[in-house]
Amino acid sequence: MTQESSGFFNWINNRLPIVNTFERHLSKHPVPKKVNFWYMFGALASVVLIIQIISGIWLMFGYENTEEGAFSSIEFIMRDIEYGWIIRYMHTTGASMFFAVVYLHMFRGLLYGSYQKPRELVWIFGMAIYLAMMAEGFLGYVLPYGQMSYWGAQVIISLFGAIPYIGESLEIWIRGDYYISGATISRFFALHVVALPLILIALVFMHLIALHEVGAGNPEGVDIEKHVDEDGVPLDSVPFFPYKVLNALVAIGIFGIVFSVIMFFFPEGGGYMIELANFEEANPLITPEHIAPVWYYSPYYAMLRAVPDKLGGLIVMAAAIAILFVVPWLDRSKAASIRYKGILSKIAMTIFVISWLMLAWLGTVPVTALRTNLSIIGTVIYFAFFLLMPIYTSIEKTKPVPERL
Amino acid sequence: MRKLLLLVFLFICSQEIFAAGGAACGDYGECDTFKPELNNMESLQLGALTFINHCYGCHSLKYSRWGRIAEDLEIPENIFTDNLVFGASVKLGDRMTGSMKPAVSETWFGIAPPDLTLVTRLHGSDWVYTYLRTFYEDSSKPYGVNNMVYPGAAMPNVLASMQGQQILSCKDVPIIASNGGVRRDELGNDVTEEKCGYLKTIEGSGALSVKEFDEVIFNLVNFMTYIGEPSRANRERMGWYVILFFIVFTALSYLLFREYQKDYH
Repeated sequence: MTQESSGFFNWINNRLPIVNTFERHLSKHPVPKKVNFWYMFGALASVVLIIQIISGIWLMFGYENTEEGAFSSIEFIMRDIEYGWIIRYMHTTGASMFFAVVYLHMFRGLLYGSYQKPRELVWIFGMAIYLAMMAEGFLGYVLPYGQMSYWGAQVIISLFGAIPYIGESLEIWIRGDYYISGATISRFFALHVVALPLILIALVFMHLIALHEVGAGNPEGVDIEKHVDEDGVPLDSVPFFPYKVLNALVAIGIFGIVFSVIMFFFPEGGGYMIELANFEEANPLITPEHIAPVWYYSPYYAMLRAVPDKLGGLIVMAAAIAILFVVPWLDRSKAASIRYKGILSKIAMTIFVISWLMLAWLGTVPVTALRTNLSIIGTVIYFAFFLLMPIYTSIEKTKPVPERL
Repeated sequence: MRKLLLLVFLFICSQEIFAAGGAACGDYGECDTFKPELNNMESLQLGALTFINHCYGCHSLKYSRWGRIAEDLEIPENIFTDNLVFGASVKLGDRMTGSMKPAVSETWFGIAPPDLTLVTRLHGSDWVYTYLRTFYEDSSKPYGVNNMVYPGAAMPNVLASMQGQQILSCKDVPIIASNGGVRRDELGNDVTEEKCGYLKTIEGSGALSVKEFDEVIFNLVNFMTYIGEPSRANRERMGWYVILFFIVFTALSYLLFREYQKDYH
């Protein structure tokens, strides 16, 4: 587009880089031409983020952030607001689906070595998003102020009390009171609807900017930047718009089917997405028989329970998340993709996935001696997978990575 | 191979692992299955009638409004107001906050009867359906009855006049051998033992037969399932259209995707 051409659009474009931005991030942004379904979950995560923001704003219209009003305001939304139930189920299903797609997205990263040079920062921003989501999900779960909101918050906040010296004061500082009360609800509300969404959006922005700087990976682990045409565009790439947008549309369609099946027919997700105890208003005098987190925290909850000491459990749980941040430096393999890695990596990955799923299940059921032992085994496998990664990825024999995609 | 071994290991462990939880319906064991019929207006109306006549005296439905029931259950307003709404000051837009003050009922029963709007969502309709049918006579309790699903329940058997006397009885049951079959003696006859804790209704002691009483409870729990989530029937109806939309959306975007893919393949 030339500077001399006139018109309103040009007037704007000379002052705001619309065309440049559109070309850089959409119409001319090169993406690998061959990717598989694993590469769709990033786009789906941004779709769910938008669903959560919009449904969240609508929920705020009817929600009351007080100790007396929180629980009944949810029922007010479910019953008295026209189609309020759709908004609410969209938000609760969205929360679970957000974690589902993000877990699959993270697994894709592990599977195809998406974190390897030069994408370390993309991975780190992604992990920061995951951490922010965990906080966001926890804060949001407290807001309906049902029994599980109350007692789940009790368990999680009391973890901070295990920190030596400052623990007790920290607990009071987080709750804003000596026990969970209206003060806790109103601050959790502020954090859930303003502070963390701002952080999340900022992090997603950084995640995407960093990604567009270094380019997307592919399931072969081929560096497409090595072979470029005279304009510097990789030969094995296609422009994001319209080609990859169409990929995403198909994925969104399939995702929409899954989402609607859950939302319209199984909104409680069998008690794993909306826990049944949360249909009873919070009661500080009655502890539920069995306190369990929603499914997306359960692997880490299982790790917490595997350690008999509270502070020890907290450290293990925090370390389990923290270790994910340094994965780019733990993987010493010459190949990025699992397709070209050696047998050791494949075995490690398989055991890791099974033990992670086992931990996820263990976190949702009451403890028994055997289950505690299984949780310990799962926790050890989880850490072994990462801590031994520098060893097994450097000693194994990798297959040669092809030049072209 | 390792994956397979691990799965086998998990499978072997699974029996012990899964066995840990208690039965959902207490002493009764597994709950009886309840399949709601949320489009069966007659059943819902009869259920509402039973609830308001027999339950609402003590239990509120405080998240629900009177008029919503009349509207959803297709009961004409004048019939509804005349027959189901007690109290001249009650308006159809009011919430169903109950007729007993919690402070008073606490001194009467030891515990205020809980609000029942969400009880079917909290415990499940199966649980409520089983609970209401498993009261039995127990002279050691203050109201002369106990409950199999919720032993020590602080609630009298309000519907006893319909159900009649239900007692715990004993009967001979076949012994299950270690191989899973019925144990037999040398002559091939089943070996039995006397086991107790079975519910038995004394025939003719109530106004209704067992079958009729079960039907009353079915309608009642059907209504309570509706009141737990009044939009549920609507939700399940709408869901099909939304899913259909996404199927068409997916098909069209797939066709478009396939067309454009020809450019680079």
